[in-house]
Amino acid sequence: MVNISLLATGFIFSQDCDLKLEGKIIDLYSDSPLEAAVIEVVGTNTNAISTADGLFTLTEQCPKKIKLKISHLNCKDLFTEIDLRQSESLSFYMDHHVESLDEVVVAEEKTNNLSTTAKIYSLSESEKDRNSHDGLTGVLEQLSGVHALSSGNSIAKPVIHGMFGSRIGIIYNGIMLENQQWGQDHAPNVDVNAFDNIRVIKGASALKYTGSNPGGIVILQSSFPKKIDSLYGKTILSGMSNGKGASLVSSWTRSFQNGTYFTAQGTIKKSGDLSAPNYVLSNTGYNQKNVSLAFGKNDTESDWKIYFSYFNNETGILKSSHIGNVGDLLRAIESDKPIVINPFSYQINNPKQLNKHYTTSIDYSKYLNDKEKLSLKYSWQKNNRKEYDLRRGAFKNTASLHLNLDTHHFNSNHEWTSSFAEVNSGLFFEIQNNFSTPGTGTKRLIPDYLKTRFGSYITAIIHKNKNFDFGLGLRHEYLSNDVHKYYHNIRWESENYGPRLGPYVINEVLSQKLVKRKIVFNTFSFNAGVVFKASKDNTLGVQFNYVQRAPDIAEMFSDGLHHSLASIEYGNPFLKKETTQKLLLDFEKKYGFFTYIISPYITLGKNFIIIEQSGFEQSIRGAFPVWEYVPINAIFKGVDLDLSYKVNQKLRLRNNTSWVEAVNSDTKEPLVNIPALTIKNQVEFSIPNWERFHASVISKNVFHQHLFPNNNNITSTFENGKKVDKVVDISTPPDGYMDLGLDLNWGPYQLFSSNINISLSFDNILNTRYRNYLNRLRFYSDDKGRNVMLQLKIKH
Amino acid sequence: MLKNIFTKAFVFAIILFVVSCDKDDSPDPENEEEAITKAVLVVTNTSDNSSETYNFEVEGHHHDHDDDHTDDGDDDDVDDHEGEHMKVELESNSTYLFEITFFNESDPSNSIDVTKEIIEEADEHVFFYELTDSSITIESAAGDTIDSSGDPIHLKTEWTTTSAAIVDIVGYLIHEPITKTGVSTRTDLGGSTDAEIEFEAHVE
Repeated sequence: MVNISLLATGFIFSQDCDLKLEGKIIDLYSDSPLEAAVIEVVGTNTNAISTADGLFTLTEQCPKKIKLKISHLNCKDLFTEIDLRQSESLSFYMDHHVESLDEVVVAEEKTNNLSTTAKIYSLSESEKDRNSHDGLTGVLEQLSGVHALSSGNSIAKPVIHGMFGSRIGIIYNGIMLENQQWGQDHAPNVDVNAFDNIRVIKGASALKYTGSNPGGIVILQSSFPKKIDSLYGKTILSGMSNGKGASLVSSWTRSFQNGTYFTAQGTIKKSGDLSAPNYVLSNTGYNQKNVSLAFGKNDTESDWKIYFSYFNNETGILKSSHIGNVGDLLRAIESDKPIVINPFSYQINNPKQLNKHYTTSIDYSKYLNDKEKLSLKYSWQKNNRKEYDLRRGAFKNTASLHLNLDTHHFNSNHEWTSSFAEVNSGLFFEIQNNFSTPGTGTKRLIPDYLKTRFGSYITAIIHKNKNFDFGLGLRHEYLSNDVHKYYHNIRWESENYGPRLGPYVINEVLSQKLVKRKIVFNTFSFNAGVVFKASKDNTLGVQFNYVQRAPDIAEMFSDGLHHSLASIEYGNPFLKKETTQKLLLDFEKKYGFFTYIISPYITLGKNFIIIEQSGFEQSIRGAFPVWEYVPINAIFKGVDLDLSYKVNQKLRLRNNTSWVEAVNSDTKEPLVNIPALTIKNQVEFSIPNWERFHASVISKNVFHQHLFPNNNNITSTFENGKKVDKVVDISTPPDGYMDLGLDLNWGPYQLFSSNINISLSFDNILNTRYRNYLNRLRFYSDDKGRNVMLQLKIKH
Repeated sequence: MLKNIFTKAFVFAIILFVVSCDKDDSPDPENEEEAITKAVLVVTNTSDNSSETYNFEVEGHHHDHDDDHTDDGDDDDVDDHEGEHMKVELESNSTYLFEITFFNESDPSNSIDVTKEIIEEADEHVFFYELTDSSITIESAAGDTIDSSGDPIHLKTEWTTTSAAIVDIVGYLIHEPITKTGVSTRTDLGGSTDAEIEFEAHVE
């Protein structure tokens, strides 16, 4: 009897799978509804997506305990169990900060994968698209505290809080970019258009990924594909007046309800010679072709992804910047305009750079239970860099630098999450092989080496209560460099390397000594952070980073001539690891429609490696200044400020300001290439009755940098038929300037099933002549003049 | 399943490691193929065909102590020393033939005459003497290389002296000059300096 009753009940239950679960997804902080959250019933193929009101409905549910997984871009996945007995309507709160540009100064997100309490600055889609033709650095430069260190107008790398190169980490789709980042004239070999999500952490606060970047970290990520049967995409077509260039960026995703997806993205960019206000910048065109493909499946409890990308960039270098000696440099500095000005052309001649970067990666992750997730990742990056100079004879069309860098990286991450804490721990292993293709007919700037790295990390975020978050991180790395380096006998003897490096000499040929050395470093990095929310409108963040960084190969072994500066650069083979400590505060406050974030910081560097002028080397071309890497003690002090004031629905004012100062703390001498005070003001407005139109005026004021070291030289030259000694002033920064821009945007307009936006943007609208201290080619020409860009954005 | 993938990936990584570590062959040396390490100036008095040879050669910080560099020039050769300039003795009211040639001796066992390459690329090269005094006139000499535009590249020049004087002279080998005509100073030429020699002409 009892049995029958049970059976009957079971029977009734299975018959009654017609329950409805309605829900609303709400942002924990703003209480506003969240759109496009994916709600899945674990163990089934049933899912739903929240509407603009945050609402979703799951139909045909059986009366039993079900487990829901709720995911949203940039939110931590939420797991919840519901004992469903009747049709219900529930609310779910997700830990998310609104990205809407209208409300916040910098779109900040609680992210699921960076495991840090550090403040994360991110760029909106429109900010990214606005500068998409400019490359990664141009896009990042819109953030406070970020500047561009450039070589001419199309080669630029990001500077964060005064640091650049190996001190900045760029992480794309979870992979640390390895592309000869040490070079001042080496732009990151990654296409910013392949990513939806661009974020910056101003410090070494993402130890899950890297522990050796005291300057900061740039994180590029693609968005999570939707879990529906759909084909969607976006295409941006831009035309630029300066350089008569064009770019086409298109990305497409085919997604399926079962979580399988395929994404393809491509970028083509072409530009001819750019122009300064008064002349053509000859040989500054570029061609870029990039492709990325991803194929994967996001299951409820596991996901996998196979990713491939190819980056190809050919960039001309201002012809006039190829010089032979210090006398030529003096003549270039004294000349008001570049020595060579040819008619506009799309042709890219020597000197030029040709860079290719291939990436392949495989990801797999699985929820072991509702608290634990295990992720595995393997990536292979292949970077090929060729630099061509103006050469003579048989070597005319041979690259004078030809480096091949292969990096294999394997890592595993274990994530444990509960309502009060999130702990990530992992192991990683990496092999990097740098091979210089022989036959360049010039000595290797970077020697051949094999680098092996492995280590482990643990990061934790503890949610003490609604007001306090604590973050802790620890990372250890073992790094071994196996280096084969040729030293010229002249250098060997002048530096008296014999006693220390003599035992490592394995060959002597062509008056050079081949040294084989293994150099090992063990580094520890640590960070701690607190975020205190005094109220909904007041937040205080404190971050402390302790970073040990092993000197990179360039700092230890570079050996070569820099044509644009007529200088010789030498590495220092005895460098020790560098230690930096950074303390960063973030005060964030809202008064109604007025918001500000003020972030002061201080960084102390011990054994901080810089390059410094150390003497001269005589050659038949004259005396060449020699620059060598040296360890010093350094102090960086700075503050970033972000303000936003929404006057009304039609008008908003924004400001961001960055100031940084860096000195050698022993000699008190300022460090070279530190960005000057920069103030950006922006007025965003729309016009009543002009629906679908908005505009903004942006002014960027870069002040004169008055703190700089003196690296001037004296050379003899002819003047009015007499031989005189003259100062070659490579130290004095140029005057400050203002760059005024205007953006006009129309849209969205509906065309079939697509949304279309059109924008007309002006850069340097006043066609102001200026030179930028952080542009290495400032001795040769003015910066870029006015540019008008027409951009068509189609969302399919 | 999971363990399986983990194990496979780990084994794969180990194989990569082993394969990469096996690579122990030494890289080939690179010679500075393009460098010019020596300029040789031969000055011939056209009246009696007597000639003098001047070598311009500097490298490194410690030129004098460089054991690997053997000076195997003639006894007549005059070495350039830092600080003090080479002196070229000329007679007043005379005519001389100046012939300049260039060598790459970055591999000391193999001296390469670079002049041929410069002559082959005559369109992209020119030699230019800049003087502090106008008492000497310099013109392209017979046998000088003429480029495809009909401009001489001044590797062979004829010098005519007038009154006695001490003249500072700098000679530049210029790669890709912007012009070769109407030139009065180094600045007019543009281009990049591939070699630069400095001497004093003592006209007596």
